[in-house]
This record gives sequence, C-alpha cells and structure tokens, in this order.
Amino acid sequence: MPANGPDTVDAVVREALAAYEDLQATAEAVDDEWMYIQDLTAAHRARLEAIAAEDGDARIDVAVGVAVTAACAEIRRITDPHRAIDWLSTFPSIVAVALGREP
Amino acid sequence: MRFQDAAKDARAIVYAGIQADPLVAQVAAGLCDAPPSVILLARAVMSGESDDEATWRAIFPTLLGPLADQAAREAAERVVGPALRIAAKGASVRDQYRGAVVEELTALLLSRRTAAVRRERRVLFDGVPAEIHPYDVTVEEPGRPEVYDCKWGARGIGDDVLHQLDDARSHAADDDVTLPVALVVLDTARSCAVRLDRTYAPRDGTAVVTLETIGALARSAPAPGGPGGSES
Repeated sequence: MPANGPDTVDAVVREALAAYEDLQATAEAVDDEWMYIQDLTAAHRARLEAIAAEDGDARIDVAVGVAVTAACAEIRRITDPHRAIDWLSTFPSIVAVALGREP
Repeated sequence: MRFQDAAKDARAIVYAGIQADPLVAQVAAGLCDAPPSVILLARAVMSGESDDEATWRAIFPTLLGPLADQAAREAAERVVGPALRIAAKGASVRDQYRGAVVEELTALLLSRRTAAVRRERRVLFDGVPAEIHPYDVTVEEPGRPEVYDCKWGARGIGDDVLHQLDDARSHAADDDVTLPVALVVLDTARSCAVRLDRTYAPRDGTAVVTLETIGALARSAPAPGGPGGSES
C-alpha cells in the first residue's frame, strides 16, 4: 500500500464513498432506473457512514487499505451503466467485508 | 394443480447447454455451504471487470488474504477459480451463466431435503390460463409443492415475477393446496429491500431469499416475507 494510503476506518470509508459517487454517475445513464439508483445508493451510503461513525478512528490493517483502494480501482473501470447498477449493490458490501463486517 | 415441462424453444435449448456446463455446477457446489461473504466474493468476481486473480485476492483480504481464517479461506478458494472462469466468458454469455449459477445453487440446496427438485417447469391450474414463463426451480413432493424463481441481482425484482409467484400461490390456495413461493436473489438483503420498496405487486405471500439467507433453503421452505435490513 502506498505510504499515504488510508489507515483508519474513516479514511477507508471516505475513499470508498468518493469512488461510489463516480460509480453512481456511471449508473445514472440508465434513465429508467434513476430513482432506484438514488434509493439504492442512499441506503448503502448510510450504512458505510454508520460504520465510519461507529469506528472511524480505528486503525486498519494495511491489507484493508489495499483492499478498498483496489476495489475502488475496480469500480472505476466500469463503463457500462447496467453493470454499474449491479455494482452499486456489490461494492459497499465488499468494503464492509474488508472491514470485518457482514456483507 | 399440476406441473408440466416448459416448451423447448431455441432460447431454452441454448440456455440448457449453459445450465449443463460443469462450471456452473462447480461454482454452485462451492457456494452451498459458503458464508454470505464468500457468496459476495463469487458475485463480485463473476460480474467484475478484472480477470486477474491477484486483484480479487487483494480486494478480499478477509477471505483470500492475510486476514482470512482457515474456514473462510477454504470456502473462498473453492469458488474463486471457477468464478473467474465464468467471468472470462463474453459479457452476454456470462449473464446467462450467472443466472444458471443462482438456479443451480437453489436446486442443490433444495435437493438436500428432497429428491423431488425439478427445473424449468410450469404450474397449471384447471380453468386458469397458463403462465408463459416457467419457474426456474420447483419442488414436486406430493402434497408439499414449492415454487422458486431466481434472480442474479436486486434489479431483477419486478412486478411481473412477483405477480406470477403470487398468482401461483393464490390459485393453489383455491385448490386447497398450500404452495410456498419464493424469489431467490443472489444479492444483499439491503439492496433487495430497496428494490421491493418500489413495487406495488402483491408480495405478502412470497418469500424473498437473499445471499444472507439462501443457505436455509436446505432446511425448510422459506416463510413469506423478507428481506430485512441487516445491521452494520
């Protein structure tokens, strides 16, 4: 992991939410699902924010920071909006699992 | 009520070839006893952009990396390779493979408690026009039938499938048959709950099974309702 990579739960969640916002923008190209996308992202964003609020200052293992950075890179490769919608569900759970939570 | 094989059109014949691919069975078998986190891993790999195994090992350190305990690692190792081989298939084909995996996993879990598991079957009722689409998986125990439709993700939950399941349940009740009906979605409860909030189709009598609860299919028919949001 780069020396300046995320090293707390709060930093990891902030990095994840920034990437998640980009993924949401990709997904919103599917006009018919716009409202679903808003509701879906709100639900998952709230969960990640709750994790940060609960454990934000906790230090993380280097492997967790690497994991979330790699997951962020993975979703930034997605250009297909339909696949992006699918990943709006998958990605937050990956972050949660990396942080030792249930999906 | 009675069950009937679905008509074999061209699409069904092509899809049957995918269903029969040993790779589908391999992934599904690996997921049968897997915890939800490993199901999530398989879901991510099969729908991901990267086909590099090292990337996924980095993304899942609690399953395949330095933070994994032995049980989690063994479960994850069983599925990551086959899931990557599905991911390596073309985009349109792997969509079908993913659907076939959900169906196979559902059938495998049900087969742990009954030998009467069938695939691609229609349910017929006297005096009621038959549905066009067959059910993905059925349990055809005399007197204790069950019906399942399977979806890869929460986005697949729609009014059509909920109406079809509820119609089957209510028509069976008209025949004095208790018919558990369920929608199996290989996605998180949280996402399914969001999708379900957007539908007005009847679902009080339908069970919604998610990646957190799918393992329980091996023990009993799911009760109507769900999914509930999970805690952080």
